[in-house]
Amino acid sequence: MLIIDHERCTLCKLCIRSCPFGAFFVEEDLLKVNESCTLCGTCTNVCRFNALHIERKLASSEELAKYKGVMVWIELDDAADLPKPKKVSLELLGKGRQLANDLGEELIAVVLTDSEAIDLQTLGHYGADRVILCRHDLLNTYSTDGFTSVLCAVISSNKPAVVLYGATPHGRDLAPRVAARLKLGLTADCTGLEIDEQRQLVQTRPAFGGNIMASIITPYNRPQTSTVRPNVFPIPALNDNHQAVVENFTVTLTKAAIRTRVVEKNYIEEGCEESIENARVLVAAGRGCQKASNLELLRTLACQLGGGLAGSRAIVEQGWIPHTQQVGQSGTTVGPELYIAAGISGAIQHQVGMSSSKTIIAVNKDPEAAIFKLADLGVVGDAQDILPKLSKLIEQETQKTG
Amino acid sequence: MHEIVANPAPQSDFSKIKCIEGFDRIRSEYSAYLCDESKLPPKPFDFLFFPKDEAELAAILCEMQRRKIHVTIAAARTGLVGGSVPSDGALVSLELLDQVQEVYFHAESDEWRVRAQTSVSLKSLETMLRFKQFPTLDQSTDAAVNHNLALFKEDVEHYFYPPDPTEMSASLGGSVVTNASGARTYRYGPTRAWVRGLRVYLANGEYLDIPRGKYFASPGGQFVVWTSKGEACNITIPDYAQPKTKSTAGLFAAPDMDLVDLFIGSEGVLGVVTSIEVALVKKEDKVSVIQFLDSDEQAVQLTLALRAEKRLQLDFLEFYSGNALNLLRNLQKTEPSTVGMPVIPDDAKSAIFIEMSFDPHADQFDFSILEKVVASCGADLARSWAGYESRELDRFKVFRHMVPETINSILAERKKQYPGIHKLGTDMAVPDDHLEEMWALYKSRCEALGLEWAAFGHIGNNHIHVNIMPRNMGELEKGMQLYAEFAKKTVEFGGAVSAEHGIGKIKSHFLPLMFNPAQIQQMRNLKQALDPQGLLNPNNIFPAEVHA
Amino acid sequence: MKIVVCIKQVPEVTNVQVDPETGTLIREGVKSILNPFCEYALDHAVRLKQEFEDVTISVISMGPPQAKDALLRCLELGADEGILVTDRKFAGADSWVTALTLAEAIRLTVPDYDLILVGKQAIDGDTAQVGPEIAEILSLPQITYGIEVGLSSTRKQVRVKQEVERGYEVVEASLPALITCSKGEVVRRAPSFLDVLNARKKPIRSVSADDLGIPAEELGLKGSFTQVVKVFPPPEKKCGRLVQNLETDQAAAEIFNFLKEKRFIE
Repeated sequence: MLIIDHERCTLCKLCIRSCPFGAFFVEEDLLKVNESCTLCGTCTNVCRFNALHIERKLASSEELAKYKGVMVWIELDDAADLPKPKKVSLELLGKGRQLANDLGEELIAVVLTDSEAIDLQTLGHYGADRVILCRHDLLNTYSTDGFTSVLCAVISSNKPAVVLYGATPHGRDLAPRVAARLKLGLTADCTGLEIDEQRQLVQTRPAFGGNIMASIITPYNRPQTSTVRPNVFPIPALNDNHQAVVENFTVTLTKAAIRTRVVEKNYIEEGCEESIENARVLVAAGRGCQKASNLELLRTLACQLGGGLAGSRAIVEQGWIPHTQQVGQSGTTVGPELYIAAGISGAIQHQVGMSSSKTIIAVNKDPEAAIFKLADLGVVGDAQDILPKLSKLIEQETQKTG
Repeated sequence: MHEIVANPAPQSDFSKIKCIEGFDRIRSEYSAYLCDESKLPPKPFDFLFFPKDEAELAAILCEMQRRKIHVTIAAARTGLVGGSVPSDGALVSLELLDQVQEVYFHAESDEWRVRAQTSVSLKSLETMLRFKQFPTLDQSTDAAVNHNLALFKEDVEHYFYPPDPTEMSASLGGSVVTNASGARTYRYGPTRAWVRGLRVYLANGEYLDIPRGKYFASPGGQFVVWTSKGEACNITIPDYAQPKTKSTAGLFAAPDMDLVDLFIGSEGVLGVVTSIEVALVKKEDKVSVIQFLDSDEQAVQLTLALRAEKRLQLDFLEFYSGNALNLLRNLQKTEPSTVGMPVIPDDAKSAIFIEMSFDPHADQFDFSILEKVVASCGADLARSWAGYESRELDRFKVFRHMVPETINSILAERKKQYPGIHKLGTDMAVPDDHLEEMWALYKSRCEALGLEWAAFGHIGNNHIHVNIMPRNMGELEKGMQLYAEFAKKTVEFGGAVSAEHGIGKIKSHFLPLMFNPAQIQQMRNLKQALDPQGLLNPNNIFPAEVHA
Repeated sequence: MKIVVCIKQVPEVTNVQVDPETGTLIREGVKSILNPFCEYALDHAVRLKQEFEDVTISVISMGPPQAKDALLRCLELGADEGILVTDRKFAGADSWVTALTLAEAIRLTVPDYDLILVGKQAIDGDTAQVGPEIAEILSLPQITYGIEVGLSSTRKQVRVKQEVERGYEVVEASLPALITCSKGEVVRRAPSFLDVLNARKKPIRSVSADDLGIPAEELGLKGSFTQVVKVFPPPEKKCGRLVQNLETDQAAAEIFNFLKEKRFIE
């Protein structure tokens, strides 16, 4: 419940202005709150005199049962002309649908935006039963304060059992803020989400750099919240027949409530040259590539996969690539999602620099090459012949999907 | 006693052993085996083997002996003098002999020991000891092995193997046959000081198990090796004296010497080392300090002062000349993240790098002795970098390695224009009392000839690597002459022309500077006794004689 | 100006191994280090101290007594005082309780802070939650993923270069504020040997559960909202597939299908 400390309260009425549910009123010179209060916490955040405090007790199973449904925050990619949902949000609708089915409850998509022209029905086709649209000019771009406030209001009034966020930079900024305001359990970077026999959400995630997996539950707080990285769950199939009910949610936001300002935006062009340490995908060339001219093919392949070119010490010493692109003991240690070793034997000095890559593909003429011990897929053959053909196949595929 | 009997080895069926034949195939599919870190231009050879156990090795040695084919041995191929580069014949890679065989406590010597096959790398040994995790040993079914391993894991202390050559991916066997050294040699001595025994295969396919402390040269300087069939090989130990400094030049010889020392530093010319037993030392927390100085000469003075102060126990004492610091400064400007350290202070003209015991948890510290010594040379401890956490020590290590790495890249660039060009790095050490003079010589001669050079290294052992970076073939020529000049002076001072890299093939022309023809002949005779056909690693240490 | 940097001591996870029998971490030989992201936060603070006058840096850490080593490291690097929040009652805390405990400790020890810097995440937990949760409890504006932290000339505003998926944004907020930090361009200074010795003379104070006045049931494991119910090693990395004797086209197709299956190609 909301506790008002009248000694501290100065009746500045900031809370009255900020409350999304109009729950405050003044009676006999005292601030009071009515049943519209959802304990969303906006007022406690706004009050400058520490006069408001929300006491949250551990929920009983009856109270827990009042929370129903799976809610997914749909993050919009506002770099595009028409804001559209980020891929990870669609992936979460897919997973969310499965969880909602297991619970026998509904799947709700929440959209925060300033835009009038947003295609909400697609969210229904991806599985949402209900879409809650929060439209306000101040939601034109992500802000911690604005989005936290609105999402807390949506959660408090809808009482979902589960809330899912994509673990994007904004998702990881927003989810803990909401969790702290509403006193919720939050599990980050989940790789597994399941409903158990007690109808609890079991959240599985890696820890200690991925060396160990942990399964986590939030027994006493609702909703249970999680963030999930992109590419963990698949995008669900589109079902044109599935429609969502669209609901408009009244947003209360003031400019003063948003305490951060974006003053500059600087996005990199979709280029392929970036520091090999940060690249998500690396195509690495070794001695087996034999000629500097063959590197161009590999560079093309790297770009197609959204990554960069790297190399072993042997080709750096030949002067084909600069030292900054060297992978290995005397170069850089990398751990990309995908590492394609082309014509690299895999001497220990090289392995040391790339063994923590998540997926490794190796192509080498020597079936005994040490690199094959590390590879998820090893192909014995000439990289110079095979990889250009791979490049062609990828090109054909991208042309198909357009 | 001075007599030892060889053991016959079980042999696999040679026809079933994997063999890559033909230089064309080797060159196109196994090109990594053509060379080691010396970058010596490869010569054609016909056979490549990867024996997976000693039985296969024995079979290969016998068959090659039968066919009179030269055998060159390789393991990690990190050598700097061409030791594992064949001139012809067969290359036998021991890379599959990579198991740790035993960890146990030797009560009489009060030390923990490790017995391991030749291709266990120093880096993996270090990791295994640090975490006390031994992948295959942990699965052993041998009760004694398990018992000892359990004791090792229960011991609360941690242990390490002291020799720390810069290239830790080198194999244990390789470090033994080159008597490798590193920064820690200052305190702990070279590899020789830590080898407690080894197993070596002779050219005839039989092997010797030699523990230290059992077989000693007779008063007449002789050993006798009996083959299992009862034939005697008489070995006469050369009568020259070892230089009073770090040395890996030539075969080790000393009166009443232990047989095991004959094979340490023998660069593969006497036999093939397949298994080594080494001793370990208790680990202590350390702090590394890079002390910045005003001049190279001040660095030499500080070295002398630190050495003279017996109450100070330093693990290592290393040096970076002004030129070396400048190389790093340039690298920092172009690729700051590679160097990983903050910008080197502008007023730093030289640096000394030390490591000593340090307990980060101690409440009180007393480094007054160090402070006094440093102040006495006019230096200031505030102008230093210090670190003790493992990642900080790693950062320092990367920083130090950048010097030779940068020199290598500079030469690689120049090689594009002048294919014949290569770097010239000295590996010479002199006795303590000649350090000042030798340094003055290095500096004055390099500067007089206007060469581009940088010096760094184990100044505590008077073993500084002077690297000349020729800008054209003319400078390469001048550099090589200068090199010969330095070698002569080193010998004059009673030093060694190869302090840690070995002679291999690249430095065999230096051997006559240290040894007269009669002494070199003594080494040849010794080799001939153990390898009558001259099949093992020909051209290592001394050029193979041409048999009529 | 007062900067508070929250730090955590963590095991060096790059070297961590899992005991196959128990499924738990092998502690043998694993060193405890200052969390790298906390170190970056400190780097940013030290840079501000060098740039502006009159800046003091307080480093605070919730942990067991040995976390003192991590505080010492910060003092060597340029922090002025250390605060160790330690008590057996804190054990088992999830990110919420950690945030609550640290927020209270900051209120108690450096009530007049201007800026709080924390690392974006700890390399053992990897949750990246504590920073924003502290900000919420203290009602501060937050800016996450900061790779460059600057102050306006009046020192009343903070200006942060924030890492986003495809580049960066520059975000401003008024002080007091909380920033979570990622690796910037700052190359960490190396303390001199004298700095190492002198760090041991700088003050480190201890704060216990009683000092904080948080009710016992809100601390440690009891106060945590999340509970770990199972810990297990990750699925065995299956020994990869090796394919031989394929025609070039077949080989290329093999790789192509693999990439599609793993969703590197859509």
